[in-house]
Amino acid sequence: MADEGGTTSTADDGGEAAARPLIDLTSRPSTLAYLREAWRRREFAIVVPAQDLRAQNMDTTLGQLWHLVNPALLVGVYFLVFGVIIDTRRGVDNFLGFLIIGVVLFHLTQRVTLEASGSITQNLGLIRSIQFPRILLPAASVNGQTAAFVPALVLALLAVLATGELPTLRWLVLPAVLVAQFAFNFGVALLVARIGTTMRDLRQILPHLFRLLFYGSGVIFSVDAFVQSTAWRRAFALNPVYDVITCARWCLLGEPVDLWVVAGLVLWCIVMPALGFVVFHRSEQRLGA
Amino acid sequence: MTDSGNPDVTVEVRDAHVSYRVFEEPAMGLKQGFARGRVRRQHRMIPAVQGVTLDLFERETLGLIGPNGAGKSTLLAAMTGLLPLRSGTIRGRSRPSLLGVSSVLRPALSGRRNILIGGLALGFTRAEVERRMDEIIDFAGLRADIDRPMRTYSSGMRARLRFAIATARIPEILLIDEALTVGDEEFRRLAAERIDDVRSASGSVVLVTHNMNEIRRFCDRVVWLDEGRIRAAGDPAEIVDSYLAAPSPNSR
Repeated sequence: MADEGGTTSTADDGGEAAARPLIDLTSRPSTLAYLREAWRRREFAIVVPAQDLRAQNMDTTLGQLWHLVNPALLVGVYFLVFGVIIDTRRGVDNFLGFLIIGVVLFHLTQRVTLEASGSITQNLGLIRSIQFPRILLPAASVNGQTAAFVPALVLALLAVLATGELPTLRWLVLPAVLVAQFAFNFGVALLVARIGTTMRDLRQILPHLFRLLFYGSGVIFSVDAFVQSTAWRRAFALNPVYDVITCARWCLLGEPVDLWVVAGLVLWCIVMPALGFVVFHRSEQRLGA
Repeated sequence: MTDSGNPDVTVEVRDAHVSYRVFEEPAMGLKQGFARGRVRRQHRMIPAVQGVTLDLFERETLGLIGPNGAGKSTLLAAMTGLLPLRSGTIRGRSRPSLLGVSSVLRPALSGRRNILIGGLALGFTRAEVERRMDEIIDFAGLRADIDRPMRTYSSGMRARLRFAIATARIPEILLIDEALTVGDEEFRRLAAERIDDVRSASGSVVLVTHNMNEIRRFCDRVVWLDEGRIRAAGDPAEIVDSYLAAPSPNSR
């Protein structure tokens, strides 16, 4: 037969067949070995969510087009309500571009968080039968939602171009902003995946938290135009989603950005993944119990 | 450390104790959480395995029987490292693999895509799965149906697919938890073939089942668990007879 190692092909099996030393089966790998194993299995967290996305809209008429139509409709509704009916366009030159960047980036973080909060609890069967680094489950949520976000991002770029913006050198900074958001999202995903296992109510609470965050992130209005006090404006820099959206608007629309906001984004995209990993990894062994 | 020193031993369990947490309520309500001012839910520790010692040998199929709640599944989970031990040790030549890939498979997707998903969950790389793809399809006997959605499969076909994925790489130590009861005769023939493969490669198989015919058909030795302890161990025919004769209320 081919190879006879266990399913987790470790270096210490294989070799001579007779009288191999027995290894402890209940010990926990070191954090470094854990991360290495997670990296080796990274394709799981890429392929499985990709297949799920395929399966998601398979029965609908528009099929995969929904990943494009959905954000377009979403932005359309917001534009109608906040751009036309309740006019929040004050202080913004290109409101449609402004709005679409805000809505699309905000929803990315929201979708990742909601999806990741159930990533452990909805895969208990897998956790109880296969030994693998559990970090792959929230990672799959992040990857899947980020992949689903790509059409929306393209839509946002097209909308920005269509509303008369021309690409500048600042556009080259956008990938860095998106990478920072990805890192932040990953950290949040780890945190909520862990919290979701002991507090099942989290999934009910999260939508409301995000509604609150929505208004505190300047998705539909310019914080600079509506908030006069400098101290309050700086307080907005504490909100990571506001930081992401504001930096992205600076890149694409040339909207002003405060140095505090940039500092906030840099800090969040380092602190959040570290915090998320520590919290997640610490109680990992008990996740399925 | 007590060491059997026997070169034929593939897994060595020494005085293993496993407890798991059972929550008093399904989930913490906000009200209770705030009222008690703490985040943890109320739970009890249930001692599921209480001091089990056994050796598993090369080329052996060991049956594990006992009433529901005897600790059979918990013992298997501890052997794969899925559940931490409270005390004792479990050592082995390599990490045993538990047949349990079913939970990751997606009914809406084709058999072929499910082989990819299941293989990745088991720790294969994508390239490794692609390389074994044809072998897995043929072993499952699903050549004609592999591109249809899995939800259109019969239960026998599904069982064969799961089993073919889970044993795509012949494991050295294979743990089977009630996985043979589902499926058709064709599937059972397949399972018997794989069990032989494992044994002829100097591996071991542990079979947990309530079906005494499976025990008689596959096992060389049987361990009878009761309330987390070994009640009897030895020749399948003898142990099965006394197990069936025992006046235990919830044994089958």
